[in-house]
Amino acid sequence: MDYLFFIVMLPLLAGLVVGVIPGDRIGAIRGVTLGASWLTALLSLIAFCSFDPNGGLQFVTEWTWVESLGLKFYLAADGINIGIIFMGAVVAFAAVCCAGDVTHRIKEFYFLLNLMICGILGAFASMDLFFFYFFHELALVPTFIMIGVWGRGQNRNYATYKITLYLSFGALLALIGLIGVYVQTGAESFSIPDLMKAVEEKPITESAQQWIFPLLMFGFGILVSLWPFHTWAPLGYGAAPTATAMLHAGVLKKFGLYGLIRVAIPMAPVGAQGWLEVMAWLALANLLFCGLVAVRQKDLNLLIGNSSVAHMGFIFLGIASLNVIGLTGAVLVMIAHGLLAALAFGLSGHLYQQHRSLDMTRMGGLLRKMPLAGTALLMAMMAGCGLPGFANFAGEITIFFAAWSAGFQTITVIAAWSALVIGGLYMLRAIRNILHGPQGDDWDNASDAKPLVATAFGLLLAMLLVFGFAPNLLTKRINGEVEKIVRLAKPEGAAPEKVEVVRR
Amino acid sequence: MELAAWLIFLLPLISAVTIGIGAFRSKPISAGISIAAVVGSFILTFVMVANGSEFPDGQGPSPKVSWLRLDGLSVDIGLKIDGLSKLMLCVVTGVGSLIHIFSLGYMKEDRDFSRYFAFLSLFIFSMLGIVLADNFVMMFIFWELVGVSSYLLIGFWFDKPSAADAAKKAFMTNRVGDFGFLLGILMVWAAFGSVSFDVLEKEKATVLCGLAGFLIFCGAIGKSAQAPLHVWLPDAMEGPTPVSALIHAATMVAAGVYMLCRVFFLIEGTWAMEAIAWIGGITSLMAALMAVQQDDIKRILAYSTLSQLGYMVMVVGLGGETNSDYYKITNVAGTDAAMFHLTTHAFFKAMLFLGAGSVIYACHHEQDIWKMGGLRRRMPRTYWTFLIGTLALCGVPLFSGFFSKEAILTVAYKESMPLFLIAVAVAVLTTFYMTRLFLVAFCGEPRSKHAEHAKESPVVMTLPLLILAVPSVVAGYFNMHAPDPLILFASLIAVVFGALLANSIYRNATDDPLPVRLGFIARAMKARFWFDEIYQWFIDKVQERLAKLADIIDRWIIAGLLVRGAHGSTEFAGRVLRLAQTGNLQTYAFWFAAGLAAVLVFALS
Repeated sequence: MDYLFFIVMLPLLAGLVVGVIPGDRIGAIRGVTLGASWLTALLSLIAFCSFDPNGGLQFVTEWTWVESLGLKFYLAADGINIGIIFMGAVVAFAAVCCAGDVTHRIKEFYFLLNLMICGILGAFASMDLFFFYFFHELALVPTFIMIGVWGRGQNRNYATYKITLYLSFGALLALIGLIGVYVQTGAESFSIPDLMKAVEEKPITESAQQWIFPLLMFGFGILVSLWPFHTWAPLGYGAAPTATAMLHAGVLKKFGLYGLIRVAIPMAPVGAQGWLEVMAWLALANLLFCGLVAVRQKDLNLLIGNSSVAHMGFIFLGIASLNVIGLTGAVLVMIAHGLLAALAFGLSGHLYQQHRSLDMTRMGGLLRKMPLAGTALLMAMMAGCGLPGFANFAGEITIFFAAWSAGFQTITVIAAWSALVIGGLYMLRAIRNILHGPQGDDWDNASDAKPLVATAFGLLLAMLLVFGFAPNLLTKRINGEVEKIVRLAKPEGAAPEKVEVVRR
Repeated sequence: MELAAWLIFLLPLISAVTIGIGAFRSKPISAGISIAAVVGSFILTFVMVANGSEFPDGQGPSPKVSWLRLDGLSVDIGLKIDGLSKLMLCVVTGVGSLIHIFSLGYMKEDRDFSRYFAFLSLFIFSMLGIVLADNFVMMFIFWELVGVSSYLLIGFWFDKPSAADAAKKAFMTNRVGDFGFLLGILMVWAAFGSVSFDVLEKEKATVLCGLAGFLIFCGAIGKSAQAPLHVWLPDAMEGPTPVSALIHAATMVAAGVYMLCRVFFLIEGTWAMEAIAWIGGITSLMAALMAVQQDDIKRILAYSTLSQLGYMVMVVGLGGETNSDYYKITNVAGTDAAMFHLTTHAFFKAMLFLGAGSVIYACHHEQDIWKMGGLRRRMPRTYWTFLIGTLALCGVPLFSGFFSKEAILTVAYKESMPLFLIAVAVAVLTTFYMTRLFLVAFCGEPRSKHAEHAKESPVVMTLPLLILAVPSVVAGYFNMHAPDPLILFASLIAVVFGALLANSIYRNATDDPLPVRLGFIARAMKARFWFDEIYQWFIDKVQERLAKLADIIDRWIIAGLLVRGAHGSTEFAGRVLRLAQTGNLQTYAFWFAAGLAAVLVFALS
């Protein structure tokens, strides 16, 4: 069955329905959106479960659009994107559950929210470069509008400008790179499987690869807040409405990483060779530098934003390792971080709604005040510092193994320090300041999460735990696809090099 | 039997999840589930040990569950069941069961009674994971989970700032150790291509480098609170006392020693061994010195735990001869002695902590020994069991601690004279501070109202004490070796000398005369050699400043200078160019003519 088609189109349909409902029927607007996103999540769960790990491309929808250019509306799932789509649909549902903090221009907000969900899921489901990019833009534009109109805080306008300029610039760079890929392969097709086949037979010329890869790396990198192009992220998420921050930080941001794995590495492996080391060092800068910055934050949202930027370092490091373990770990962290970021921003949104402030120095003892949300926050913080049992740990430790075997020993040592010690430091301090200790004075009127919001938190936590206890559910799907990419990029050997045995 | 092995492991998890999902609403049901789970695990362990069932070599009980399988990296959740893990299972589930029951009384009035039992079950599950792990990654997973359950239990009364801080400190210190442990695992995997203990043991021919061995030991430094990462354990006493008994005396802190015994084949014969032995020796001496000047009953016991753990770590590092007929627990003298002492120590130290808990409970949460006194007649059961524990800890002949301490001293005597002397000195100090504690807290006259009105604790608390007294006395006879006369003499002298010295100073004392007599040395001991101050200085001056620097760079250079600079220069260029667009026809004509002239000059020259 064409699950993917319905997964992508349901939110669009919901958006159109919201468009014709009168603006004062708030209940109906919310109900339609909630129902559609619930159905989408359910469908993606069915798709995820019925996915055959050895079955290649599945749930295909393929319509030719412009034959002469090789343009197709082409949705399909393989081992890499099926998990991301599942995660994306669940996060979308959770985001809709947490969207209750929007109180004006509700109809417009929900229309844009639906559009954004459709764009996000479409971008990850598309196997055609054109639609891959188109859907991303479809999700990005509503993001800007939502931050600008429904955002919060004094820095809202500056944050909107900044995030818009940064992301547009990154997307533009990536677009040039993608056009380069299309022209240079000479495959006369935008379809990713066709392009893969074309470069397998006749790779893109080395000189072209030399400029295509950096364009894609930095273009996609800016979209994922690669150091030093990261300053938009904490600021932008701090100003965004809850649902927007959850969706962007959780899912849409992964587009750049997905593009690196899906397009940049397989299409320009020779160009990548010289840049992977740079990427690994920048990844380390993400982990160490942004981790240290996070230690200094007083505002919960800035802390989550910076730690989220820091976590991107793992994924870049996994990609830079360019072996099966590393790329699998990268996809694993993408999914884990998506769930975690959505959970964290959902929780900070709930706290903000209670008190209109996220100043951690004035909080305290909230675990007593709000046991449900408090426990969820405690668990999210623990997942954030890489505690086993949560999916993040599985991905992070995999990436450490990969980076070590790829020869980045020094980087691995510092990265492990950043993850275990610095990551632990700011997360534990946050728990100490927010949840433990005597209660902060201004928080008397705060109330715990309502059932709908609590459901969203519970769902995200459950997913983190399931994939943390059984990462095999994901890795057995990811592994095969990643192997193809590594084989394309490094024909000489996909298995990790065995480091020589060290004698005393 | 395979099902039994898995049940031992999973029952506490089932309990924790059940309580977490819904059973927490009812206090008795929560406690019932939790106690049933740990007692169930204990009974199954007992059955398994009694049956003597062995699984074929290298094959744990099936099914092995694959946690992660990739090319070149494969991690299973499998159980390793051999003599070593069976002994540890007995200790964890046995002591765990008694402490669960003790907690029924001790925590009776706590509003978060159910949460407490859920956390205890979570801890038992994590601890069993370490004990049963058949590969490094699985061990690391549960290593961290033990860390977090300890964090949750130390911070159980999280409204109290001191408890919340202590929990944070414990977790962070453990994390530093785990950092080394993780790197060690990476190095082992890079060298051998596998993380499974069985595979590694088969490839023993290749010798690991000392650095990897030392990094693995870092995990034990953190978890077993060896110097210089020992600072978290005394603070961890902020947790409820049964937790201190279970986690911070008998089981979790012993995990480091257990892990070293488990992977001993990897570190054997590298320079890491010497480092382990010396760190252990130094920890045992330092902690014993610190214990001499503490006044909090739980902190004295905590430092004593540190010191005894130092003993165990030291003897693992000393290694010694391999003889599978003579050494029954493991084949090597050092690890055998370490596991032996770990077992006896678990029983008598858990009993001492529970005894301390009983005293604290009776004295309305008074923990200062100088405000106790005269408890002998008021709490006879606690008094007698505490006495047995003290005698066992001091290594008085015929009590369990005597035999295991003998085993350690024997290995030390054979392998390293300086460490043997340290060990004997520690034995003197141990007897000294334990006699001090005992005389001040239990003998003499009551020195406070609470002590005067102390009553014996209820049966649910004294019964576990009485049960634990049995193995505290007899556990030594199961692994007894004929002692060397010289070593026997040395340890007897140590006990007698320490006890007499303490007796002469503290008999009927109302305050501590040592600070006056020893001056600076006593102050250094009381201040725990300023480790905490030094670390605090490091955190404030180095870590915080580094973070501040990063924040400044992020805020002012990357986001400020570069981003705003790019933004500013674009705007500046715009403004400059706008000057040209005056809308004045003459200006345009002027620029047009000037441009034309410039082009002409350029083309003609």
